[in-house]
Amino acid sequence: MKEEVKTDSLIIELLKKISKSLEELNEKIDKLTEKAGSIEAKQKKIPVENLPLDAATLLSLPDHLRKTAIAICSLGEATAEEVAEETKRARAVESDYLNQLVALGYLKKRRIGKKVYFSIEEKKE
Amino acid sequence: MKTIAIHSYKGGTGKTSIAVNLAVIAAIKGKNVCILDYDFRAPSLQVVFRENPKLWLNDFLEGNINLQDALIELNNKYNFKGKLLAGFANPSPQALRGMMTKDRVWEMRALHKTLSAKRSLHQEMGIDILIFDTSPGMIYSSINALASSDLIFIVMKGDEYDLEGTKELINGLYDVLGKKTQIILNKIPLNYFSNEASEKLKASIQEKLGLPVIGLIPCDCNLLATGGKSIMAINQPHHPFVKALSNITDKIQLF
Repeated sequence: MKEEVKTDSLIIELLKKISKSLEELNEKIDKLTEKAGSIEAKQKKIPVENLPLDAATLLSLPDHLRKTAIAICSLGEATAEEVAEETKRARAVESDYLNQLVALGYLKKRRIGKKVYFSIEEKKE
Repeated sequence: MKTIAIHSYKGGTGKTSIAVNLAVIAAIKGKNVCILDYDFRAPSLQVVFRENPKLWLNDFLEGNINLQDALIELNNKYNFKGKLLAGFANPSPQALRGMMTKDRVWEMRALHKTLSAKRSLHQEMGIDILIFDTSPGMIYSSINALASSDLIFIVMKGDEYDLEGTKELINGLYDVLGKKTQIILNKIPLNYFSNEASEKLKASIQEKLGLPVIGLIPCDCNLLATGGKSIMAINQPHHPFVKALSNITDKIQLF
């Protein structure tokens, strides 16, 4: 019995470690995608400025970005995870698409603690 | 919840009559319905529902009021089995002028407000069917409504102007937004219904546009004359116009 309890607590401990590592990995991926996005923008000489994500813009976006854009337009401000819940796509995919929209100048991005928030407008404090 | 935008290439196809009667039929059948007038160029829902609102959808989109304050509960007046809420567009010349001069940032906020209105109508207000009556053609308020919808009903009269224009809208708007789109043929001359001509017309439109025709409504001069004076689904429930829309209402949940 004691042996079983010990094994259970070991497994729980291990799962916690895995979960923490995954979170750290997610953060690193976010930072990498962010860097990649800004490098791509620089290479393509895309001006990163405040462009409104309005209906006309929606129509001009490629299909994969449009779905993300509609989700973030609906939420106003959200994490990649919340957008992924809306679009039913993977968080990592949405993180990439949201960063592309930031690089194109349509979204703003801010970090609060460990979480990254994307929004259609600069938040007024 | 199903969100439907009633749209067309040209004006005068009967969008508002269809939107109002679909909403009323669904409420009579026990659905909780909300209808929003997104035709800010030529608002007309306030005429057909005989309402004189103090607050408008314009105020909601400006960010001056909550969505609930922009809606009027019409159940007290009509006593339907389901709930019927309506949001009206302001028809005053100042409001019409104001809507003409909005910039792209304002339009972005309007899109956000429209999408979040859909969310709260579904999650907080228990609405089953949301209907947008829109302006014809490609204008901001209509695209905002279309982007917020699950289903688009294109209303067309079946003439060449409508046909060619609708083809362009399918390519440049409906397909791009990736929405389920269906056609309602309205104001079809009565002689089409005396033989197989109506089925031939339906098949020909379906082939030319590559979209399903879900309703074929005969033209009725009396109906044209009473436009805006009364709601057919209430006053003439057995009229062919109401019957055709009742069939479409039954199919909404299936789309």
